[in-house]
This record gives sequence, C-alpha cells and structure tokens, in this order.
Amino acid sequence: MTDRVVGFFLLLLATGYALEAARMEVSFFTDPLGPRPFPYIIAALMGLSSLWLIAKPDPEPAWPPRRFWLVLGLVLLSLVAYAHLVVPLGFVVATTLEMTLLSRLFGARLGAGFLSALAFSLGVYLLFTEVLGVGLPVGRLFG
Amino acid sequence: MDILQALLNGFGVALAPVNLLLVFLGCLVGTLIGVLPGIGPISGVALLVPLTFALKLPPESALILLAGIYYGAMYGGSTTSILLNIPGETSSVVTAIDGHKLAKQGKAGPALAMAAWASFIAGTLSVLGLMTLGPLLAQWAIRFGPAEYFALMVFGFSTLSALAGKNLFKALAATGFGLMLATVGQDPQSGIARYTFGVMQLEDGMDFLVVAIGLFAVSEVLVLLEEKAPGAVQAQVGRIYLSLRDFLTSLATILRSSVMGFLIGILPGAGASIASFVAYTTEKRILGPKGRLGEGDLRGVAAPESANNAAAGGALIPLLTLGLPGSGTTAIMLGALMNLGVTPGPQMFQTHPQVVWGLIASMYVGNAVLLLLNLPLVGLFVRLLSVPAWFLIPAVLAISFVGVYAVNNNPFDLLLMAVFGLIGYLMRKLDFPLAPVLLGLVLGYLMEINLRRAMTISSGDVGYLFSSPIAIALWLLAGLSLLSPLLIARLGRRRLGDEEL
Repeated sequence: MTDRVVGFFLLLLATGYALEAARMEVSFFTDPLGPRPFPYIIAALMGLSSLWLIAKPDPEPAWPPRRFWLVLGLVLLSLVAYAHLVVPLGFVVATTLEMTLLSRLFGARLGAGFLSALAFSLGVYLLFTEVLGVGLPVGRLFG
Repeated sequence: MDILQALLNGFGVALAPVNLLLVFLGCLVGTLIGVLPGIGPISGVALLVPLTFALKLPPESALILLAGIYYGAMYGGSTTSILLNIPGETSSVVTAIDGHKLAKQGKAGPALAMAAWASFIAGTLSVLGLMTLGPLLAQWAIRFGPAEYFALMVFGFSTLSALAGKNLFKALAATGFGLMLATVGQDPQSGIARYTFGVMQLEDGMDFLVVAIGLFAVSEVLVLLEEKAPGAVQAQVGRIYLSLRDFLTSLATILRSSVMGFLIGILPGAGASIASFVAYTTEKRILGPKGRLGEGDLRGVAAPESANNAAAGGALIPLLTLGLPGSGTTAIMLGALMNLGVTPGPQMFQTHPQVVWGLIASMYVGNAVLLLLNLPLVGLFVRLLSVPAWFLIPAVLAISFVGVYAVNNNPFDLLLMAVFGLIGYLMRKLDFPLAPVLLGLVLGYLMEINLRRAMTISSGDVGYLFSSPIAIALWLLAGLSLLSPLLIARLGRRRLGDEEL
C-alpha cells in the first residue's frame, strides 16, 4: 500500500515536472533541442517507474512506532529553526541548543548534554574560524 | 617508460609536505569513519569537501584527501566487524561472519592482522591496475564524441540502477529524481531559469554538497534516532600478529579476491559491498571442504577485506578515465573536482597529469600509511567506540552544519539540507537507493549538454545517437544491464538460493 501511495505521488511529480517544462518560454535563438526535451525524457522515466510501483508494490516497510513521528517532527522543526536562527544567534549558541536537544533525544542527562554541546560547538567554531579561516556566523549579540 | 616517468612526477606531487600530511589525515579520518558505525564513507567524504574548498586546496590535494578517506574507511570497517560483530560499513558485513567467530575463539589478533595485510596487498595491487589500465582506457575514450558520452552515461545509470538496491524501478525513480534536481537552475545553453519557481537561491542550481550532506549524513542521524543507537561498547584486543604459515595459506585467496574485487569495482554501481560478497562466496566454492569458511577461517577475513579495498581502487578507473562515477562516494569526488575546475575524463591524463598521477602515487603512500597506522593503533581506534552515541551523533550533525554553511555562506542551504534529510530518511525506509540521486544530480548537467551538442551536430536527427559502433555497443550494454536483474533472479536464485547468506 505504501509503495502505491509513493508511486501515486511520484506520478504526480512526473506530470507536474513535464507540464512545467511545457510552460517554459523558449527564445528563437537556441539549439535544435532546446531546454524542454531533456526534462520530458526524465519525466517519462519517472512516470514509468511510478506506474510500475503502483502495479507491483513491495511488501510494507517496517514503520517506526507512532511516537517516533513526533520525535522526527521535533528534530525537523529544530533544523528549520536552526536555519533561521544561526545568523542572528551565532553559530555557537544555535549549535549548542541543537546539539543539546539531540543529546537529550539520545538519552543524555541535560547537564552533560549541554556542557559537551557547548564545548564541542565552541571548539569547532574556534577551529574553523581561527585556525582554518572558514567564516561562521558570530551572532548579533557578539558581533 | 612513459608511465614510469609520469609515476615519478606523481610521487613528486604526493611527497610534497602538504600532500603527505593530507594522505595521512585522509587515512586517519577514513579509518575513524570506518570504525564508527552509523557514519559511512559517503557522509565522511561529503562532510570534508567543503573544508577542502574553504582551505583553497588545489584539485590534486583535495582528491588525495578524499580518496584517502574512501579507502581508509575500507580498512576501518573490518575492525568492529571482527571484534564486535558490528560492521562499521556495509562493505565489511561479510567480514563479520568469520572474523567475529575467530575473535570468539580468541584469535582476534590474527584476524585483525590478516585484515590489515589483505587490505594492504589488495590496495597496492589495485593501484598497479589503475596505473596500467587507466591510461589505456583514457586513450581509447579520448575519441568519444557527445553521442558516445550520452550513451556512456545512460549505460552508467542503467548498471547503477540494476545493481543498487533491491527494486530496479525504485532505483530508476531515484535516478529520475536526481536528474530532476540537476535541471533546477539556469538552462545550460539558453540561460533561461528552469524549475526555480521564482526562488532566487535556486537560480544557480542545487548544490550537490547540500543535497549529499542532507541525503546521507542528516538522514543517517534520523535513522539512528529511530533505532536508538547502541550504547557505548568496549572490546578486548589481543596481540596483533600473523604467522607466516597463516599468511602463506591465505595468499592465493588474497590474490584471487583482489583481482575479482578490482574488476567488480570498475563496474558502475557494483562497488565494495558487492565485491566483498562475491569474493567470499567464490572462495567458499573454490576452497570447498578444505576451507572452514563460515566457522572462523582466516581466509574468510582475507577474501572480503582484499576485495573491498581492491574495489575502491577499481572504482576510481571509470571516474578518472571516463568521468563516470559508479557510486555515491565517487560522485562526490567528481562534483568536487568539477567545482575546482577539473572535469574528469580522458583528457585529464593530459591536461591535469598532476591530479591523476599525484593521486595514484599518493595511494601507494596511503596504503603503507594505513598498514603502519592500523597494526599498532587498533586498540586506540576501538576505544573510540566507548564515546557515547549521545555525544557522537549530535557532533556529526554539527559538522554537517559547518559543511553546508561553508559551501555558500547561506542559511537557505541549511533549510534545503533539512528537506533532503527527511527525503533521505523516507527513501531509506522505503528501500529506495540513495546513490542514484547523487549520481543523477552530478551527471545530469553533463548528460543534457552532451545530448544537446549531439543534436546540434546532427541538426536534430536522433539517429545520430546510435550512429557509431561504440555508441551502439554502449546502448546494448545499457539495455542488457537493465535486463540483468530479471535474468539473475531467474538463474541465480536456483544456484545461489541454497547458499546461506
């Protein structure tokens, strides 16, 4: 069943992808092939594979317990938050928070998780910015 | 003589202090990645590419470092297989069968030493093979035009799809997805924006590193989160030695498995895991009742370990001579080289000899480094396993952030990384192979541009794609490889079916 659902979405993706290619505006000054046919080939490949998945799905995968989806959602949400906060908060603060959250999820005690996260983030920050010369966001508070 | 002269120049590159340091660093990091379960060679290579860019390393130094990680991981993977029955990499799964039985019989030392020596011999032999076969293949491929290149890439994708993963159509869908990602951004010839949906950050296309780190490293973290990675473990390592008698009885196995591993490694999509598996089952058949494979035979360690190291060397042949990577790891190397302004392919032997020969020479050095590093330091590496998962895995994620951010200094890439982390997780759960996505993304551009060049030459005649003997042969091979899973399923099940494993 899962494979059928996935196949259906992939078919939608292939169709949308091909339609988008058809909508492209092509100037007259282009090579004989132009920008459309290659996407059409890909869409055909994808469409064919998705039809096969709908026709012949694999057995059900072993899904994790329902509680895990909450954890997964939390981690993904934290990654999105990280992307938005890393510049204002700075690499060290944002990474410490993210690592602390993850270490808790992997069963660490709060204190140990926080301290090791802080030490590691700070160490990585100094190594990359001071020794290797790779720029990382310093944060509005400290900048 | 030409080859010797080129090799000498290569050693000139490889023995420069910076590159010597990078070989050492690559081997060390590779071994660590190999030892640690949960972080694979692909993630390791992907995470270090941004660093090579940031340090402004020249292409030869970058490649020396990345290749060191790649074959270093092949060494490291055996250690935990033998001692703990936890394969560090998929290419060492087979090693665990006899290796761990030997460890339980108190022969961990000889097993570890055998793994190191077999890897060393196989690694060195595969560099020799790379050195002799590479230039020959490059000379032949230099005549390839756009039609042949397009057919070659179709061939690469079809063998990869046929060999990677259990379901051919899932692999094809993954290839299609990767190619779709490759078309995001400016059209290579007319310059119009495709599939950007008005998002400015997508105009330059999807960065392969962001996709690779999300798809492999982040999704690995998510999978481990679900499995609640095993707690810290400790293992006993005895004295590491190998008697001359044991070595001599295994020598034939090592040589056979090296040749087999090397040849399998050349094939796109096959690679170290398949090589180690095939070498093991072949040895089992050849040795028959004389061998005690499966019950704790040193040759059961020697076969997969020599095969996977030889395969790592073989996998570099299509990458260096044709510009066709056969695996996720070599796809990242290709992407890195292209970012540094080197397009791998037959011309590379002439235009960038320092990259090719520097790499080859560095691999001789690297194999020796690994042997010296591994025999005395196994105990130290194993102690790494007592680092708790709650520290190690968040640390991998933190390094991923640095890697992704360092690519463009753009937080938008971190969002993309999270999206690809989720996609990678779902793909793993649903048995979609990940490597074809990366390969599609890295090769899509070249594939389209060759197709369009071919059509420009022929002014739109599709028959041109099938007009040369080489192109026709490649199309036929591509078709054959797509049919091969069906054929193997018919024939192989009957013969291999009763074979355990």
